[in-house]
Amino acid sequence: MNKPLPKPVFEGRQCLKDVLMKIVDRTVQKFGAEYTEVRAQRLFKTMLTLKEGRVEAAKQGIENGAALRVLVNGAWGFASVGALDFETLNEAISDACKMAKAASSRLKTPIKLIETKAIEDKVVAKPREDPSKISIEDKINTTSKMSNVILGFDNHVKSCTIDYLDLTGTNYFINNEGTYIEQDKLYVWSRITATATEADAFSFSREEIGSTSGYEIFNVETPEIVGERVAKRAVEQLKAKPPKGGTFPVILGTNVVGVFAHEAFGHLAEADLTLSGSVLLDKLGKKIASNVVTFYDDGTIDGAFGSFKYDDEGIPAQKTVLIKDGVVVGLMHNRETAQKLNAKPTGNARAEDFRVEPIIRMRNTFMEPKDYSFEELVEGIKAGYYLKSFRGGQANLDGTFQVGIQEAYEIVDGKLGEPVRNASISGNTLETLLKVDAVGKDFELWPGRCGKGQTAFTCDGGPHIRVKEVLVGGSA
Amino acid sequence: MVVLKQEEMLSLAEDAVRFALKKGADEAEAFLYQGLTTNVVIERGQIARSSRIIDRGLGIRAIINKAIGFSYTNVFESNVTIEKTVRKALGSAKASKPDENWHSLASRKPLASVEKTYDRRIVELRSEDLVKVASVMLDAAEKTDKRVFPIEGGAGASYLSVAVANSNGIANFDYGTIIECSLATIGQQGGEVTPVCFEFNTERSYNIDPKWIGKEAARLAASALKAKKIETKSTNVILAQSAFQDLLYFTLIDAVKADFVQRNQSAFKGRIGEKVASEIVTIYDDGLFSGGLRTWRFDGEGVPQQKTLIIEKGVLRNFIYDNYTAKKEGKESTGNAARAGYLSTPNVEATNFHFMPENKSPEELISEVDDGLLVYYLQGAHSSNPASGEFSVVATPAWKIKNGEIAYATKGAMLAGNIFQVLKNISVLANNERKIGQLVAPWILVENVKVIGK
Repeated sequence: MNKPLPKPVFEGRQCLKDVLMKIVDRTVQKFGAEYTEVRAQRLFKTMLTLKEGRVEAAKQGIENGAALRVLVNGAWGFASVGALDFETLNEAISDACKMAKAASSRLKTPIKLIETKAIEDKVVAKPREDPSKISIEDKINTTSKMSNVILGFDNHVKSCTIDYLDLTGTNYFINNEGTYIEQDKLYVWSRITATATEADAFSFSREEIGSTSGYEIFNVETPEIVGERVAKRAVEQLKAKPPKGGTFPVILGTNVVGVFAHEAFGHLAEADLTLSGSVLLDKLGKKIASNVVTFYDDGTIDGAFGSFKYDDEGIPAQKTVLIKDGVVVGLMHNRETAQKLNAKPTGNARAEDFRVEPIIRMRNTFMEPKDYSFEELVEGIKAGYYLKSFRGGQANLDGTFQVGIQEAYEIVDGKLGEPVRNASISGNTLETLLKVDAVGKDFELWPGRCGKGQTAFTCDGGPHIRVKEVLVGGSA
Repeated sequence: MVVLKQEEMLSLAEDAVRFALKKGADEAEAFLYQGLTTNVVIERGQIARSSRIIDRGLGIRAIINKAIGFSYTNVFESNVTIEKTVRKALGSAKASKPDENWHSLASRKPLASVEKTYDRRIVELRSEDLVKVASVMLDAAEKTDKRVFPIEGGAGASYLSVAVANSNGIANFDYGTIIECSLATIGQQGGEVTPVCFEFNTERSYNIDPKWIGKEAARLAASALKAKKIETKSTNVILAQSAFQDLLYFTLIDAVKADFVQRNQSAFKGRIGEKVASEIVTIYDDGLFSGGLRTWRFDGEGVPQQKTLIIEKGVLRNFIYDNYTAKKEGKESTGNAARAGYLSTPNVEATNFHFMPENKSPEELISEVDDGLLVYYLQGAHSSNPASGEFSVVATPAWKIKNGEIAYATKGAMLAGNIFQVLKNISVLANNERKIGQLVAPWILVENVKVIGK
């Protein structure tokens, strides 16, 4: 290389901790910050993309970086840099303080944080199969096998894309209140999509796999099981007919209940969005859903894709009740919204990486099961739909939701009928929650990714449920 | 953190390529990205935060026996870390499988010139200046209507630079600026909350109008109040750019990508020369569009960006290609390889997807509709069927048009259809062209769209 680059100032973990402590101390002394935190990360990624079994590229990445956040005069300042040496961090924290001062010039209500206990901890990931120790060849073999299952399932299957990602590394969190947490990160994720065609019909099917436990997820979600699930749906959807548009009674599958809990309700209960004027703002303590509806957001489920021990403000993750027997009892908070609404912090502040600030995100969001069997749920419907699996969903602050469906069936006289394609459901979340009239006894959690300006790994799910009526958008 | 200059970025990229070849790569390519961004953020009615983000890194593709390995890093601490990244790319290639369709990396070609992609004034903006911009926007919104609450928004200024080098002699550098300014609002009155409305400017030059954004964002939210449910029927729909971009991004734009065509995922496969849209529709993918949000001298593989005719008077003319998909068909890349910074290998992606405008003003367009909907925003477009083009989305909100005038806002109306049918049913393109994401387009009027209401 021509240009001499600066030598690393430190090596090893102990030294990084010293650097971080020094930075935090200086910020308080020199800039008079009310609050300072530094989140340093060392991350390692392996990624694969296979298209019809062809490995497009085997990819590996290394990232180091720090996110520095301060409160000065009641306003936030934030700086992100891709380095961990003292000089760079020192410059960045001074930047962050200048940013905060500039922002504070027009502040009406100064930002305050709820008080929390200082924590010192070290969280070590203990996977049975550590993805960082598995060879790329093995990962290519697993994904290739899945690809072969899909392409060999039926000659109508025309394409198959598999994305694979594993992320490992360590997060170092420190703040000026005495909290210092070293926490390993471990994620294994894959998205599998397939398309099938016949004459003029095109169908599309997708699944995701995601875990925080380790590569052993592929022992449960094996290439054979997942491959068949994806391929079978793509082929069956070719025979499906478009739904009739209009209002119908429906059974929502566990996967659709999950996206409903997450998209239609969950986002409204993220306290930053609640405070922005979501329809839940004046509903705390009030009944908004039928008695059989209980929703949780839980960061403590072992190995689930949305689980972690501490959030990105150093708050322990917990199981948070959002709706209990139809009554809104809680919201998801960071330290700022908890202070503002006089609530306990829930450990929902998450940042995708050191490039972005932590914001309120869901973890594993689900509905609690009750006592109906699937047959009992279907029996009650003369003409309606069973919406089994979703393609995507989106919500709005006024409570308008939309969920696109990738697998659905007619229900005729209490029995499942023909497959239906490209349905979607929409309505108002609060109106719909009141129309939930029966809840199943089964339960499934589904991994996914949520976008709110940055990506978070989450799970959502629940039992099968019956909704008295919902607007089904048909195809043209 | 020191900002890397042109010579430094190019020499880092060229050195990485040389090192990869020395260590046994048949071919190698290095992509360097550097982004500096200053943001000021509005949250719940006030300016609450400001941030500065410096992100840079290097991505390396190494090819050995037609197998492709990729590695990236943002650690520039020493030459050792960069050499380690090159070794990882080589290791990945060795672990991977050969791709029989791999031909070679892109070759060197003269670059076209681009206009209005850099403005020094944007680079010089400090957070204090952006606070002023955001304040003007907030004040304008607050003055416009008391029932409107600005929930989020802000102003941001970025300087970006990229360098690409490869073993075929490519060594290209480009730089540019982007300024963004946006405000999202809701209207509240007597227990009613509107869906989120927003307005924005995104430009490559310092040419923004925060006062207009604030006023317009507030006007939209206020006019979304007192929304009514409407009947189910097929009707005329005017799609504003945000709604149109949402629909196209998940359907039509994929259908013209060579990757999707070659892999049997496009409804346009084998249909070059056929009529696929209304006669008034002409679309270019214009990588050189003056001041375009995706205008650069070259793409993610160092291939010159260009203007490609996609649909001419309703007839499908071309697809868009990167180096790999082009060589697979014995063609030339159209300069459509995009990258997610240094973190990814290139993918086929549209640049500025330009629907050519016609002459009517938006007011004239509305005045000619007896009965229909004006749709600004859609919800759920990402759940469209990307293979078939079928969509089923919610208009949040739309405004009912009656006898050539906007009558009232609608509540929860769904639109269902197929993008390829929509293309055929476009009857008017207005003259109010604007840029949003990949799209450059005016308002469009589409006939006979199924609207599901009550």
